[in-house]
Amino acid sequence: MRVEQALRLLPSLEALMPLRGLLLSSARPDERVRWGSGGPYLTVGKREVEPGELTRRMGPVLAVVAEHIAALYGAYVEALERQERGDAPGAVTALVGAGRLEERVGRPTQAQAWYEVALALAEALQDRRPEVETLLALGHVCLALGQYAEGARHYQRALVLSEAEFDQAGAVDASVGLGNAAFERAEWSGAQAWYARALRLTEANGDRLRLGRIEHRLGLLARRQGDHAAAGDHLRRARECLEVLGAGREMACVLDAQGELDAALGRPGPAAGAFREALAWVRRDEPDPGGGLDVAIRFHLAELLLDTGRLLEAEEEMRRAEQLAITSNQTRGLVQIYTLLGTLRGRQGDETGFVFFEQAIALCRALDGPPVDEARVYHAYGLFRQSYGGPDEARAYLERAREIFRSLGVDAEVERVEAELHALSA
Amino acid sequence: MTRPTQDPPAGPARPSKDAVRVLAVGGEGGAGPLQSLRQWAADLKIDLEWAADLPRATRFLAGGRWDLVLAALGERSDEELTWWVDALRGAPGSPRLIALADRPSMGLALRAEKLGVLDVLALPLEREALANVLGRVRSAATEVALPLPPVEAEAQGHYALVGQSPAMLEVYKLMARVAHSTATVLIQGESGTGKEVVARTIHQHGPAAVGPFVAVNCAAIPENLLESELFGHEKGAFTGAVARKIGRFEQAGGGTLFLDEIADMSLALQAKILRAVQEREIERVGGGESIPVTVRLIAATNRDLQEAIAQGRFREDLYYRLAVVTIQLPRLADRGEDLLLLVAYFARQFGERYGKRIEGLSDRALELLRNHQWVGNVRELRNVIERAAIVSTDATLRTEHLPDELRAEEPGVPERAIRGGGGGLPTLAEAEARHIARVLAHTGGQIGAAADVLGIHRNTLTRKMKEYGL
Repeated sequence: MRVEQALRLLPSLEALMPLRGLLLSSARPDERVRWGSGGPYLTVGKREVEPGELTRRMGPVLAVVAEHIAALYGAYVEALERQERGDAPGAVTALVGAGRLEERVGRPTQAQAWYEVALALAEALQDRRPEVETLLALGHVCLALGQYAEGARHYQRALVLSEAEFDQAGAVDASVGLGNAAFERAEWSGAQAWYARALRLTEANGDRLRLGRIEHRLGLLARRQGDHAAAGDHLRRARECLEVLGAGREMACVLDAQGELDAALGRPGPAAGAFREALAWVRRDEPDPGGGLDVAIRFHLAELLLDTGRLLEAEEEMRRAEQLAITSNQTRGLVQIYTLLGTLRGRQGDETGFVFFEQAIALCRALDGPPVDEARVYHAYGLFRQSYGGPDEARAYLERAREIFRSLGVDAEVERVEAELHALSA
Repeated sequence: MTRPTQDPPAGPARPSKDAVRVLAVGGEGGAGPLQSLRQWAADLKIDLEWAADLPRATRFLAGGRWDLVLAALGERSDEELTWWVDALRGAPGSPRLIALADRPSMGLALRAEKLGVLDVLALPLEREALANVLGRVRSAATEVALPLPPVEAEAQGHYALVGQSPAMLEVYKLMARVAHSTATVLIQGESGTGKEVVARTIHQHGPAAVGPFVAVNCAAIPENLLESELFGHEKGAFTGAVARKIGRFEQAGGGTLFLDEIADMSLALQAKILRAVQEREIERVGGGESIPVTVRLIAATNRDLQEAIAQGRFREDLYYRLAVVTIQLPRLADRGEDLLLLVAYFARQFGERYGKRIEGLSDRALELLRNHQWVGNVRELRNVIERAAIVSTDATLRTEHLPDELRAEEPGVPERAIRGGGGGLPTLAEAEARHIARVLAHTGGQIGAAADVLGIHRNTLTRKMKEYGL
């Protein structure tokens, strides 16, 4: 049975999300389809799934679910016990811990609910550090969910409290969070100011891990602002801080950014090298393949190949990223990959490429992901339709993208889409 | 000859003539293979370099050309193997991988074969085993270039029909007979045999050539969108119908509508197609108006439609409407010397695209191409040659430019005995494991389908897979 048919039989219930994940990760392409004329358009919806295979793999999944639920229940009981013993900060820590468990399994909305309960408790305490910890966690999850204004509000409060408590690490993290919130909304000068503040605070105490992370963010920001030389300097300093620490994940992020910078500078060879090394750092630290970072780096590598006209290799890389995303249940990554595959088909002059955008939209809806993902799909779909003489459809998709970006407060994106809509009318 | 360094040089140190360039990764320390490799390097004529970990190995790979990478696998050997194969793809010099593992399992060895890994050697590393693999690498370096044959002048463009085999000549004759009529044509053939190319050629040589050629891939389009794609829709007909859409039937007016993979269509949609064919009119989704359409219909499938009819998955009346003339396309394996002509055609096509002048193919590469199964027929061959054209550095396509999966099929390399002994012959269990792995690969890992092919119960297959670590 095809996944698209199987998904139609699965109600959209939160309790069934692990089953949905299992269904997607069990999907395999039929070897005959791979070389058929439908092969180039194969998406997860067109893959095959066997009920027997689901049964076979259900046990381990249920065990993981049970373990997760048990950990959440345990965290809750621990919070109760600590509260009863008068250890309210301990109760907050337990609740925040439960939220972190939820984030780790890709359930940010649930994580947010835990953090909000923790915050209500923390706000009543005299000791403000638990509140700072909770606000930082909330800020982080808000940004992941595309709630940028809300996230900034939490980080702002965390900053005020941590400064009052002389908690320098908290102040640094809150400043970086505020920078990230500004960055996501394309408020470059705001982001610059927050990162610079975080950097000043960190340089004073010589925390190399935090320094490396901030330099990385400054590098990303400088690249977005078009200052490639400054971006290169920040990323080099980030590498210097992080490599000696052997911080694999952070090194991978920095090298990924370096790859994107090299790509923007028209240096495809060094860019590909940076992406490959980034993958090696991920692999070194995270032997389990398929983390979100792994998929994201492969996605950037595929974008590089696409931009340099190496379409066959770009498609191969996207297909590898797709396989990784499917088997590891990285559905957000899948949305990005299908959007890029649609763009690739557009470059090849292949109108049937619209199937990838349709699949990406279906995934966004089925998985209740962050709205920004859906907006990006509609944006790319609009541009695709524009190339194929469908101005009405192109307009409708671009307007939908604009509407979502506007609701998220991403003004730069709203302006970009408006310019495209204007060009469409001209 | 070994230099463990922090910053990799631009290739192996002091490469000597005829030496095999080897990058060893990890394994430093008392029990690691590096110590032995260092001792054997001069004797086995290898230029050895060492990278302490994966990131450093990646820098070495980007910085120079290597013949071999020796990677010690850890506990997650399967995943590590996949990672390495991916990391080496496209690396300068197309290095081959030798995986080193403590007590390699049968599953690992089979997986390595499937991925085109040169060999899996057990730790502690034995000198003879390594010497044997190096011998294979050296013998592969003696390839002779053969000139590519000229391809007919009319075989030009993106959709050319290339081939002179008797099987294709029969196809050409039938095409010539039907092209000038307006008869509906059903093209049957395995995946990648060129059904769309045949359909386009019929269109170009027939009365519908003045009109457009519109192709719809029924397998590619999600079931819920196919109807509106074919017949169009009115604005607001359903969620997402943001504007009126003209369907492919209308777009193909006065020309040819090519329905590819027609067997993938639902029975409900088949009924609507039948109506369009019979009555020559359609209705847009959400519209009440009947719209006349004049199109020549060509359909294609890689499935056995008679069997689909027997199973109730395809309408018999539609079949007879479509199969007024049936053209059966041959498999690439049945087209003899067409393979070489196709290689020449694609090499020229992709050579032009990637700015390279490709004039020859090595004898060993040709042998590999001839021996390959070509499940994906011409489409698979086209992919292989495009990839080879991308990675080639001179005018000859050689084995190093072919995908690992093909290189693993090199003749003269006997099927490796996994556990050794028996004079290199596999045991019965090894042969069974290998066959099961092959069938599983063929069915895309689907256990039910594999059990059907093997003629055993799926529980038995599951048990054997567990037993063999597949």
